Amino acid sequence: MSSNAVLLDVQNVSLSFGGNAALSDVGFSVNKGEIRAIIGPNGAGKTSMLNCISGFYRPQRGEILFKTADLTKTPTYKIASLGIARTFQNIALYTGLSTLDNLMAARHIHMKQNSLASMVYWGTAQREEVAHREVVEEIIDFLEIAHIRKATVGALSYGLRKRVELGRALAMEPELLLLDEPMAGMNVEEKEDMARFILDIHERRGITIVLIEHDMGLVMDISDRVVVLDFGVKIADGVPDEIKQDARVIDAYLGKA
Amino acid sequence: MNNPQTLPQYFLKQVHTHGANKVALRQKEFGIWREFTWQDSYENVKLFALGLLALGVQRGDKICTIGDNDRQYLWGYLGLLAVGATQVGVYTDAIPKELAYLAAHSDSTFAMAKDQEQCDKMLEIRDEVPNIKKVVYWEDKGLWSYDEPWLISYEEVLELGQAVAEKEPDRFDTEVWLGQGEDTAVLCYTSGTTGLPKGAMLSHNNLINSTRLFDEIDPRYDTDNHVSILPLGWIGEHALGIAPHVYAGIVMNFPEEPETVRENIREIAPEGLLYNSRLWENLVGMVQVSINETSWFNRKLYETFLPVGYQVADRRLRNEPVGAGLNLAYKLGNLTVFGPLRDKLGLSRIRAAYTAGSALSPDAMRFFHALGINLKQVYGSTELTGGATLHRDGDIKFASVGKPIPESEAKIGENGEILLTGPTLFKGYYKNPEATESSLLVDEDGRKWFRTGDAGYIDEDGHIIYLDRVKEMLTLANGEKFSPQFIEGRLKFSPYIRDVMAVGTERDFVTALIVMDFGNVGNWAERRGLGYTTFIDLSQKQEVYDLIQQAVADVNENLPPNGRVRRFVLMHKEFDADEEEMTRSRKLKRNVLYSKYDDIITSMYNGDDRVEVRASVQYQDGSTSVVETAVKIASLY
Repeated sequence: MSSNAVLLDVQNVSLSFGGNAALSDVGFSVNKGEIRAIIGPNGAGKTSMLNCISGFYRPQRGEILFKTADLTKTPTYKIASLGIARTFQNIALYTGLSTLDNLMAARHIHMKQNSLASMVYWGTAQREEVAHREVVEEIIDFLEIAHIRKATVGALSYGLRKRVELGRALAMEPELLLLDEPMAGMNVEEKEDMARFILDIHERRGITIVLIEHDMGLVMDISDRVVVLDFGVKIADGVPDEIKQDARVIDAYLGKA
Repeated sequence: MNNPQTLPQYFLKQVHTHGANKVALRQKEFGIWREFTWQDSYENVKLFALGLLALGVQRGDKICTIGDNDRQYLWGYLGLLAVGATQVGVYTDAIPKELAYLAAHSDSTFAMAKDQEQCDKMLEIRDEVPNIKKVVYWEDKGLWSYDEPWLISYEEVLELGQAVAEKEPDRFDTEVWLGQGEDTAVLCYTSGTTGLPKGAMLSHNNLINSTRLFDEIDPRYDTDNHVSILPLGWIGEHALGIAPHVYAGIVMNFPEEPETVRENIREIAPEGLLYNSRLWENLVGMVQVSINETSWFNRKLYETFLPVGYQVADRRLRNEPVGAGLNLAYKLGNLTVFGPLRDKLGLSRIRAAYTAGSALSPDAMRFFHALGINLKQVYGSTELTGGATLHRDGDIKFASVGKPIPESEAKIGENGEILLTGPTLFKGYYKNPEATESSLLVDEDGRKWFRTGDAGYIDEDGHIIYLDRVKEMLTLANGEKFSPQFIEGRLKFSPYIRDVMAVGTERDFVTALIVMDFGNVGNWAERRGLGYTTFIDLSQKQEVYDLIQQAVADVNENLPPNGRVRRFVLMHKEFDADEEEMTRSRKLKRNVLYSKYDDIITSMYNGDDRVEVRASVQYQDGSTSVVETAVKIASLY
C-alpha cells in the first residue's frame, strides 16, 4: 500500500514555550499510503508535533513539508484545504448540532457557492448541497453511524462521539489524516471497532494516517512505521518489530535499570 | 402464462403484470429510500439464478443464507428457488458451531453470507462443511483484502449469469417452469428447546396456501408496504413477507441498519405488522413514558380521550353499536391524540397488527384497540408454515388465539393437546423420519394432524384457547388436565393480584392461594374510604374478597369448566424468597408452598369457610412474634 513517495517531511523541528523545549530537532518522514504512529511517554511532545503539522503551533526552527508546501509558513486556515484533517484528543464537535450537520459542516472547504446563492438554495447551490450530502452519507455508512444520523451530538456516548469526529475529519476528504489518541478512554470493544475503521480508511480510501496512541499492542498491530519521542527528542524510528527491541524505547517506557 | 404454483412462478406473474411500472421493493441506503421496480428485481433474480447454474447448483440442492434482510437476500432467495434449490435460513447471530450444524445437516452445497462477519464464520467452519462449494457475499466492506477463492461476490455471480443468459436466453423461464408446487422451498429449523434443531420442510404449496388463506381473512394488496425485519431463520418472514410479496405483490421495504428499524418502520408506515407480545408490552410502556414527558396540554388531551378510546374499543369488541355521541368524541380523540400516537409508533396506516409468542395481557390488547390499532393474536408453528389460527375482525377475544384459518382445522387430543391440520401442514423433518412420525397423529380417516405440544381447548364459539405446554399441565383426580401457570398468569394480569399458586393435583377441582398486591389494593381501599391497619387486616376485608373474586370470575370465563378456580383464599402474608417460598427471580417453589400451607389447602377441599393460621411476623426492629388469625375461604360455585 505505501509507496516510497514522501507525503510529509518533518525536518529538524524545534518548538519551545518560553524556556521549555517541547520539541528539539525532530525529523521524520511519512510516506504516501502509510500508517505512521508517534508514540512516547506523557509529555514527550506527541501532541505538540501534531499541532505543528496542523498549523496550530508554529515551530521556531525547522520545516514541515507537505508535498511542496511548507506548513510552518502556511496560514492555519489554508492547511485544511491542502488536504490535512485531524481529530482531537479531547473531542471538539458542535455539540448542539446533529451528526449529519457536524459532517456537513466539514464539507465547507469543498463548497464553491457563495453564501447568498446557498441561502436561495436554487440550481447549482442545491445540486452542490446534494453532492456533498452524498459524500457525507457514504461516510455515515462507512462508520456505521446511520442510527445516530439525526441525533444531537452532545447526547451521544463518548465512543460514538469519537466516531463522529473521525467522520468529520473524513468528510474533508483529506490526503493526510492526523489522529490524536483516537482510542483514548474507550473500552476494548470500542477500541477494536475503531482499529477496524482506521484500517478500513487506510485500505479503502488510501488515506495516509499519522496517529498518536498509548495502547502499545494496538499501535504495533496497525502501524507500518513508528517514531518514538521522549522529552521532545526523537529516540527511535522504524518498523514495529525494531521498535519493540529498541533498548532506548524500553528505557523510556520502563525507566532505566 | 401457465398456472403458477411455485414462488418464482408467482414472481414471474408479478413481473409480467407490473414490469418497470411499479416499485417492488425499497431499501434505505445513504439516508434515502432507494426504489427498485419489478423489472429490476427480475434482472437480478434471473442473472443470480443463472449464475448459480453456472457455478453448478442442481435442482434439489440446499443453500443456506445468513445475513440481515436486504434486497440481495431477497433476490438470492428467489434466484435459488428459481433453479429448484431449497432455502435454508440461519439467524444472523448464530455462532459458528450452530451455523456449521445447520449447513452440514441440511447438506447445503452453497452458502450466502452477507458480509465480513458472516464470511468469517463460514471460513472458520470450512473444514466442517466440505460440501459447500462457494460462499456468496454481497457486502464487500472489510473483505477487500481477502484472497480466498472460496468466496465469490454477488456481482460475480451475476456476471456468470449474464454469460449464461447470452447463450441461452430462455433458460431462466424454462428453469422456473420446471418447478412443482410440492418441491421443498424452505428448510426452516425449529429452535428445539430439547435436543438438536429439526429442519421442517415446507413446500411451495405450503407457503402459497398459507398466504392465500391468510389473505381470505386479512387481504393484502399490491399497494401495501411490508417492512422486512423478521429473521430469515424463523418462519415469520417467509410467510408474511416473501410469499405475500410474490403472491399479492406487497412492496418489500428493507431497513437501513438493524439499529434504525423503529425509525424506518415509522417512515414506511406499513399496513400489516407482526411483533411478539413482549414488544407490544414495551410499546405500551414507551407511550406511557412519553406521555409523562409531554406538555401539560398534550397530557390533558390524552387523559381526556383515552377513556373514550377504551369505551369505544370495548363496545366494538363486543360488537355493540358505539352511539353517535361517543363516536363524535372518539373522532375528536382520533384527531388530537390517537392519530398522532399511531403515527409515532409507525402504525398510522396499519390495517392488521399481529401479536405472537406468549399471551399478551388483555390490558395491552385493549390499550391498542383504544388507540384504533386492530391488534390480533396469531398462533401457529413452523410445521404449519406459521400462523394456523387467527383472530377475525369483529371476533376478537383477548383470551383466545383465534380460530383456525380457512381450510384448516384444530382439535384437542386426548391429553388435552392442540392438534392442527390443513394445507399448510409441512412435509416432514429433513432426514428425521422418526421425529416426523412422532410429531404427527394420523386419525382413522388417514388425516395427518400436527401435535403442537401445547395444551388448550376450544370454546363454544370455536375459539382456541392456548393454556400451556402439555408437559407443564397438572392432572385433577378425575384425570382432567389443568394449567396452573395459565391460571396464575391470567390472574396476575389483575393489578390487585401480586402472586398466585393454583392447586389441584389429584383433587376434585382447582383452588388458588392468592397474594394481593398490597400497594394497589391499599390505594383502592383508600379511594373508597375503607380503613385498614396491616396487610393481614386489609387482606381479610370482605370488600377486598369481593374485588378479587371478580378478577377470578373473569379469568374463569376463559377456562374450561373443569379447570376453573372454585375456591380461593387471600393469603395473610406475601410469598417470600427469604422464607424459601419463591426463587429470587420470583418463581413459585411449589413443593415448599404445598407443605407449608397444607392446612389452608386441606380446609379449602374440606368445604370449610375459614381456616385458622399461625403466622410468625417479623417486625422492622428484628423482633418476631406469632400472630394467630383466621383466613377466609371464598367459593365461586
